[in-house]
Amino acid sequence: MQALAQIWTRSGKDFAAAQQNMFADMTKRMAEAAARPAGSAPAGFFQPQELASANEAFGTLWKSALQISQSITRTMEQGKKPDPLVTELMGKLFDPRAWFSSLGGMDEVLQRMAEGPGLADLWDTERKLLDVFNAWTALRRRSIEHNTVMLEAWMRAAGAFAKTLNEKAERKETLGSWREVLALWVETANTALLETQRSEKYLDSQREILKASTDLRLAQQELAGFYSEVFGYPTRAELDDVHRTVTELRRELRALQRTDRELTRRKARERRKKAAETIELEPGA
Amino acid sequence: MAEPASPINIEPEQAMREAASLADKIARGTELFARLRDEEVAIATTPKDEVWRQDKVTLHHYRPLAEKKVRTPVLIVYGLIGRYTMADLQEDRSLVRNLLKLGVDLYVVDWGNPSRADRWLTLDDYIDGYLRECVRFIAQQHAIDKVNLLGICEGGVFTTCYAALHPDTVKALVLTITPIDFHGDTVENRLGHGFINLWTRSLAPEDIDRLIDAYGNLPGEFMGSVFSMMTPMRTLMKYNLDMLEVMDDEKKLLNFLRMEKWIADRPHHPGEAAKQWLKELYQDNKLIKNAFTINGRQVDLRNITMPVLNVFAKDDHIIPPATSQALGTKVGTRDYTELALPGGHVGVFVGGKSQALLGSGIANWLAERD
Repeated sequence: MQALAQIWTRSGKDFAAAQQNMFADMTKRMAEAAARPAGSAPAGFFQPQELASANEAFGTLWKSALQISQSITRTMEQGKKPDPLVTELMGKLFDPRAWFSSLGGMDEVLQRMAEGPGLADLWDTERKLLDVFNAWTALRRRSIEHNTVMLEAWMRAAGAFAKTLNEKAERKETLGSWREVLALWVETANTALLETQRSEKYLDSQREILKASTDLRLAQQELAGFYSEVFGYPTRAELDDVHRTVTELRRELRALQRTDRELTRRKARERRKKAAETIELEPGA
Repeated sequence: MAEPASPINIEPEQAMREAASLADKIARGTELFARLRDEEVAIATTPKDEVWRQDKVTLHHYRPLAEKKVRTPVLIVYGLIGRYTMADLQEDRSLVRNLLKLGVDLYVVDWGNPSRADRWLTLDDYIDGYLRECVRFIAQQHAIDKVNLLGICEGGVFTTCYAALHPDTVKALVLTITPIDFHGDTVENRLGHGFINLWTRSLAPEDIDRLIDAYGNLPGEFMGSVFSMMTPMRTLMKYNLDMLEVMDDEKKLLNFLRMEKWIADRPHHPGEAAKQWLKELYQDNKLIKNAFTINGRQVDLRNITMPVLNVFAKDDHIIPPATSQALGTKVGTRDYTELALPGGHVGVFVGGKSQALLGSGIANWLAERD
């Protein structure tokens, strides 16, 4: 279990370091921006405090998560070394980072969809770019807040897992294979996650991420529209207008074709009716 | 006081055995994986011919596999979330093949791959436009007035609305895993069930409007991630444990990969239609209240006067049973039958037990009313 403990510790450090690096990089870029000539980047347009506090809350929680994971690890430690292959597989499944990479699926998908092309490289050219950047930082902040909710869920799962292990130990029950250990973890974690998903906190943070990613996408579109106009390309809004017109024309065409078909059918019916009446009038025919 | 001994008591020999078995499995699986080619995981292979097309929508007629036992043709209607290929995943797990073998004359409508250019298409276009045209075409081809409709999931909502608007053109209505009461998830309130209902209600209508403004549609990958969230641990373990379990067994691995292929093929949902789907149905629950309108006409479930077979999965976490069963008291027919099958949302179609029951259940029910 030593290997498991190392994986948890390393994961925590990597994740926290990634957050810190991102924040440090952003602070550096903001300082550079502030030093630029007036007009290119208005002072005070970026408020890092909210992002910083979200980041800090996550960091604190992460430390607690590590303590829990180490405590579980101590409980599980046997002094017997399992095969590295099994340990690695188990490690991946117990690794809290997996909760963000696999379970934060929508968060990731939204970010990927929203961020799209690397417009951030152009950020200091126009004011619209600042809106994009602000929207991006807002999305980061919401993402960290959501990760905090997920980490709380992980901590609950880890706590419940440790509790179950302790209870088993007290009852002198044993888990005789890695599969049994894994099955217990999966069941415990699944319940914790599903309960979390029903919580207001989770739903709120999901909604905030959705809103932030939408805002970012719209800010990017506005910027793209601005450049399209400058260079004489059709804008997204213009294309949407064209598509709307095409859809409406097709709709009208369908309706006209239907009316035409019904008219033809009615005429045919009337012709048949008339012909039948004529036959009735001329019984010898 | 001494701490209790750890409950994890894995003997070195046991650990070695597990590790060796896993290593063997991985080795065999890697070899097998390297041999497989994409054509071996082809899905929706039952032969069919395109018989009609309008814009991106195509209508296909399946070639018969047995003597016709149900005279009235059946049109399969899937929704815009996912694709109809789920009903014909592979030869031994195919509702389509099962029905054809039981002598049912089958058509299927494919909505194609909507892009941003299709943003403005509404449910009205799909239900009262394309679907109506498909029904007309089939009726004309067979010189009949009425066809049978078989709706799946969102496609079940389409056929329900169509049947309520044009009851004179529908002989019998079969619904599978179809939501009717979109707030019905609260009836049982089972953990892990009905998350989409809950999640959609947690959004404000303007969140949905802005989402569609931003993307032009409801991106397929977005809906995919919502579905993944519903089975969190399974999503987490799918590629590192579930796949390991099957990777040295060719048949199981092919099943796994075919399902992956179907999951990956998730078209975008046209934007305006998505707004109606999420706001008017999931949020406002208009269908069950007879308050939903298509092209200005009220969708009144009491107009569904033809026989109805309502099939649902007892363990469906996406469409909880109560959301489907709500239809029973709302339709205007006394010939209403429910068929509850074991399994989950997709399991009904591809699970060993259910899919056999599903095919024969539908074919027999239709034959009795033909």
